[in-house]
Amino acid sequence: MATAASLHQSRKRKNAVMMALCVIAAGIGLAWLALILGALLYKGLSGVSLAVFTQMTPPPGDAGGLLNAIYGSIVMTIIGIVVGTPIGVLAGTYMAEYGRFSKLTTVVRFINDILLSAPSIIVGLFVYELMVRPMGHFSAIAGAVALSILVIPVVVRTTEDMLNLVPNALREAGTAIGAPRWVVIRSVAYRAALSGIVTGILLAIARISGETAPLLFTALNNQFWSSNLNAPMASLPVTIFQFALSPYEEWQQLAWTGALIITLTVLGLSIIARSLTGRREDR
Amino acid sequence: MSAVSEAATSSAMRTREATVRRFAFTDMVFRAATRASAILVLVLLGGVAISLIAGSWEALSKFGISFLSTESWNPVTENFGALAPIYGTIVTSAIAIIIAVPIGIGIAVFLTELCPRPLRRPIGIAVELLAGIPSIIYGIWGLFVFAPFLQTTIQPFIIWLFKGIPGLNSLFAGPPYGIGLLTSSLILAIMVLPFITSITKDVFDTVPAVLKESAYGIGCTTWEVTRRVTIPYTRVGIMGGVMLGLGRALGETMAVTFVIGNAHRISASLFAPGTTISATIANEFTEADGAIYTSSLVALGLILFIITFIILALARYMLLRIDSRTGA
Amino acid sequence: MKPMLSTDLNVSDTTVEKAKIEVKNLNFYYGQSKALKDINLSLPERSVTAFIGPSGCGKSTLLRVLNRIYELYPKQSAEGQVLLDGKNILDRSQDLNLLRTKIGMVFQKPTPFPMSIYENIAFGVRLYEKISKAEMDSRVESALKRAALWNEVKDKLNASGQSLSGGQQQRLCIARTVAVKPEVILLDEPASALDPLSTAKIEELIDELQADYTIVIVTHNMQQAARVSRQTAFMYLGELVEFDRTEKIFTSPREKRTQDYITGRFG
Repeated sequence: MATAASLHQSRKRKNAVMMALCVIAAGIGLAWLALILGALLYKGLSGVSLAVFTQMTPPPGDAGGLLNAIYGSIVMTIIGIVVGTPIGVLAGTYMAEYGRFSKLTTVVRFINDILLSAPSIIVGLFVYELMVRPMGHFSAIAGAVALSILVIPVVVRTTEDMLNLVPNALREAGTAIGAPRWVVIRSVAYRAALSGIVTGILLAIARISGETAPLLFTALNNQFWSSNLNAPMASLPVTIFQFALSPYEEWQQLAWTGALIITLTVLGLSIIARSLTGRREDR
Repeated sequence: MSAVSEAATSSAMRTREATVRRFAFTDMVFRAATRASAILVLVLLGGVAISLIAGSWEALSKFGISFLSTESWNPVTENFGALAPIYGTIVTSAIAIIIAVPIGIGIAVFLTELCPRPLRRPIGIAVELLAGIPSIIYGIWGLFVFAPFLQTTIQPFIIWLFKGIPGLNSLFAGPPYGIGLLTSSLILAIMVLPFITSITKDVFDTVPAVLKESAYGIGCTTWEVTRRVTIPYTRVGIMGGVMLGLGRALGETMAVTFVIGNAHRISASLFAPGTTISATIANEFTEADGAIYTSSLVALGLILFIITFIILALARYMLLRIDSRTGA
Repeated sequence: MKPMLSTDLNVSDTTVEKAKIEVKNLNFYYGQSKALKDINLSLPERSVTAFIGPSGCGKSTLLRVLNRIYELYPKQSAEGQVLLDGKNILDRSQDLNLLRTKIGMVFQKPTPFPMSIYENIAFGVRLYEKISKAEMDSRVESALKRAALWNEVKDKLNASGQSLSGGQQQRLCIARTVAVKPEVILLDEPASALDPLSTAKIEELIDELQADYTIVIVTHNMQQAARVSRQTAFMYLGELVEFDRTEKIFTSPREKRTQDYITGRFG
């Protein structure tokens, strides 16, 4: 009896220790988030001023803003999304609708998942070889293409997943009324999966708005205002990279402020995206 | 129905048939567009592979297989070898995974077994938000906040602690720079933690409730249920999550570039600066002059591509096995 | 029993009526396995035919052949002939969309489209007809009246179709099917997901619709088959065991298996 009781005690102790470790692990995870966001807010907020949004990136040692970098980021993100989203949605549509049972879909799904987590710097190298080298110079359009390549797998994945959640009965009902497949997809399946697909697009925007590596040797950087898509263009992440590693205090401060802007944008987009799907689940 | 006259019916049928032809045509076009887009995904990956091979051809044909085993990276003499970046990539990723896996599994256990229900969703979301933070943010935070902290407190302490112990004293040899291999590993660990956590949590959710309930029913503690039922049941899925995290760590660029120190040498000490494949490319690509220099950097990219492709393919394969079992 | 059945009894043979659909030597396969074995039957125009039988007997499969909805899925194939007004709809040249405008279908679970009540009905009409807003309004109204739903929804036509109750949703689906003016309506266990009150309404509706449409209903509720149909087909293990006037099937079936099934000995 004594041994049984002590065995029970030791098992309970072990359980308590392991569970305490799990709680600590969760604490560590949340602590990092708090530490990073805290540092960002603390260092970034002190540099926020109107000048950040109205002035160009300064030469070393001067005060200035991030206007051209913000503009460049927005322009390249928009082009990246506009180019990547339709391709992603169409490919996802093939996989969930026309090609649901085909071998091609299985292969594409596998490759897409790899593309989804492939290092983004590889995409940068690819676009360098594909566009920058033949054109002979860096350009905003190359940067945008690199971003669109990152958008595609995200949108493909969410589109396919969300269309797969649309009940087959709904497709049959659309078909049974005499609607051709593309009308069923457009008017019934897309409509039923809309919030999910929009979520995917928002997540894709969140992903590319902070991407640095694929822009480093496609769009490069530009200290001045440029709206020429055929020329190098500044972007927020690349500017942060350059400024943070510089020895100049003004630049470092702008880097922190830029980092705060990006983080708030990305977190905002992710939260909106999540609340969209969250509502859908609750219903 | 019966009131409709014969003539009207036949004209209605004619317009219907025209409509039907139009529908069939649009359907064919739409189908072709979706199919072409799906194929484009394959073409993209193929294009990446081909362009990397083409771009690295010059370097690979000059250095041959010794590219992989040469430590020297000398732009002046144009003699390049990938050993130091490969070493740095593997070491930082491996340490990151070793740190992140137990913590990630711990958080997943916390979320599925211990967390009060109302907190479960918010904490789960917070962990996933951590995954969405761009890597450059981790980089700037690592450089300005984390590295100085390590340099002034943790590193001197560890160096002092292991001073007299052979082996460990060279693994943790000073001086404390703050930046270096270990700092990069820690940052990477933080970055892959959310991936491992959320996948582990997802596969934990696939364990049938009845299986856990019967274990609890014979008097198992929560830890015993986790250790003996949940983890064995989901082993393949967890491995998939770990591989996915490893894939991320191997290819992660910006966070590492900030804190690795960019030194092309292999040191015994984890406190020493080093480099990784992606950090080398990010740091040097735009400044590389000379075809052979650029080509060597693309060759590094090709190596990274091959490594991550294999790791990610394995990860997907393992996660697929979990999916097919649960019928998801 | 419906009163009209008593007059039907005077008709010596149902086959003298004009057949709307004739099924000849129909076989159906799911991949390698044969789900329907040499089915032959003829469905008279403007009356209700019920398919009954235990689960997996092929009654739903047979229904799904009649508008070729099975073609949405791979590895399903039919051979033989299904004649609609004498024309084989299994023919390769048959346009599927056109076929489905002639043969409408209502499913087991209500399937309102993710759009407003009005749009749910207008959607199908608009596909093949260009009509004015006013015409469309009256089409929607008459379809909803036909499905006995108008009074319940006339003040909220812009509300989502999914906001209706299950029974209302099913009547919306019937309205949607009626609105495109089909000739045949296929009903796949249309009331199995509904409460008794909604079921009664649907049955009443079916009774009214047979004045204008040829109706085929699959059900595993035998009382329902007895209440709504004029002729009944009993199927078992992919075969058509017996097909006759409903009266006859339920009172003096020829086959022992039919007898066993309707008396509840199996299934």
